Amino acid sequence: MNLNDYLRDNTADIFITIIIWLSMMVFFICFHFSSDIILLLSIIYFSGSAVRITVGFFRKKKFYDELDSALENLDKKYLLSEVLEEPSFLEGQIIKNALYESGKAMNENVDSYRKCSEDFREFIEMWVHEVKLPVASLLLMSHNDGENGAKYGEQLRRIDSYIENVLYYSRSESAEKDYIIKPVLLKRAFGNVAVKNREELLQMNVSLNTENLGETVMTDGKWLEFILGQLMSNSMKYFSQEREPEIHVYTESTAESVSLHFKDNGIGISSADLPYIFDKSYTGENGRTHSRSTGMGLYIVKSLCERLGHTVSAESVCGEYTDIIITFGKNDYAKPK
Amino acid sequence: MHRITIAEDDKAIRNELSELLKNAGYDTFCITDFSDSLNQILSADSDLILLDINLPHMNGEQLLMEIRRKSDIPVIMVTSRTTEIDEVMSMSYGADDYITKPYNPTILLLRISAILKRSSKEKVCTSYHGFKLNSAKGCLSDDKTEITLTKNELIIFQQLLDKQGEIVTRDELMTALWDNEEYINDNALTVNISRLRGKLADSGIEDAIETRKKQGYILK
Repeated sequence: MNLNDYLRDNTADIFITIIIWLSMMVFFICFHFSSDIILLLSIIYFSGSAVRITVGFFRKKKFYDELDSALENLDKKYLLSEVLEEPSFLEGQIIKNALYESGKAMNENVDSYRKCSEDFREFIEMWVHEVKLPVASLLLMSHNDGENGAKYGEQLRRIDSYIENVLYYSRSESAEKDYIIKPVLLKRAFGNVAVKNREELLQMNVSLNTENLGETVMTDGKWLEFILGQLMSNSMKYFSQEREPEIHVYTESTAESVSLHFKDNGIGISSADLPYIFDKSYTGENGRTHSRSTGMGLYIVKSLCERLGHTVSAESVCGEYTDIIITFGKNDYAKPK
Repeated sequence: MHRITIAEDDKAIRNELSELLKNAGYDTFCITDFSDSLNQILSADSDLILLDINLPHMNGEQLLMEIRRKSDIPVIMVTSRTTEIDEVMSMSYGADDYITKPYNPTILLLRISAILKRSSKEKVCTSYHGFKLNSAKGCLSDDKTEITLTKNELIIFQQLLDKQGEIVTRDELMTALWDNEEYINDNALTVNISRLRGKLADSGIEDAIETRKKQGYILK
């Protein structure tokens, strides 16, 4: 807040001051006051007005400057009223009070939504566990049914993977920490995913090659298995008709990190789509022309990776291959120095 | 015959699980009244327990802790809870394995037989027609000859030998191979079987592995 702006804002005040002075002049001249007295009264009148305006300016300047700088520096701007000092003038007090009340009301509002989404998340977790029971018994039934059951089993596994999507989407969006980081052998995590998808992989005659999966990384095993399952299901969706499907899973490690490559020889991703594949609801060309896509799979993968502290990236040549790379940091702080 | 206790409160799963295990040649005991599950489990005198976590009255984790106080009978936690935390907790309470629902039935059977093999201390079947199976060296040998087996052939042979005289399905063989990180396809399995057959024939055991169309293989 500078003086110019303040004066401009108080034009009316200054204007009235001058009008009053002029009418006083008229009055003084009519009654033949001596010029000394007129000068003296004018000086007193104007210095009084100047002091009034200046004091008003500095009182407000302090408050509004503080408000501005707080607004600029605050990370969470809705906490504004908490950091302001109590202003010395009425307007300021009213503003501060209003800010406080509106912030509080907004907090309550946000809180009710937060609670809503927490409740919903809890409900989803519970629902997923419940719905898994009939799926589990149906899978057993289809297995016990022998030859006939196989095709039902296939559909049931699809249902199960969709259920997992819901579960992990809700987990990835939640602020709650429901994972634990511990050493996970990549070979084991990948093995579980491979075995889970065995029927489909064999049906499509996919050759699965693994290399250097003896590495141990710090992650949540269940989440990692879900991530790998997503990558696997993407690969299976977008295989090329022109060649024998192949998935090559291998690691490369440096002093600081281990990179897990999940590479298939499918139809690849066009370079126009590549930067956006991890975006929410982004389907791209493949999603439109090939298998129906929700654009959620890789988004969930990315948010889970971010929450676990891994990075995920993609390389692809359209028509040749897609390589999704997950990089795990080697945790130095866990090692004795 | 091994006896397996099933502690699972979902009736449909319990019945199907029991049928699955019976078909696989196990005797089963199902707990239906959970008000006194601990005593029932302990007095059932079984060789293995399949334990759900979400049970009425006393949940699976508590039961597991109580069981571990009195017995070291193998326990596999079978549950729809899918967090790593649940798994770590269960393992720390002394579970031998942890499988999440919905599970692949073949894998469940494989894990059960692996755990029973480990715990029952009965000698793992390692001899066949005078040959001794040496898994560590990966070969079958008698006094004169030694047949070297690849890792795949060894896994296949071990599966067939464990159930000698019974049908082993291709699905079971595949599951065992994939469970050991050997991700081979159908053709490769056929090739591996015929190679194994050839190696056995070379050492004088003709027609050791019989093919049952649409069912599987039998080791004679």
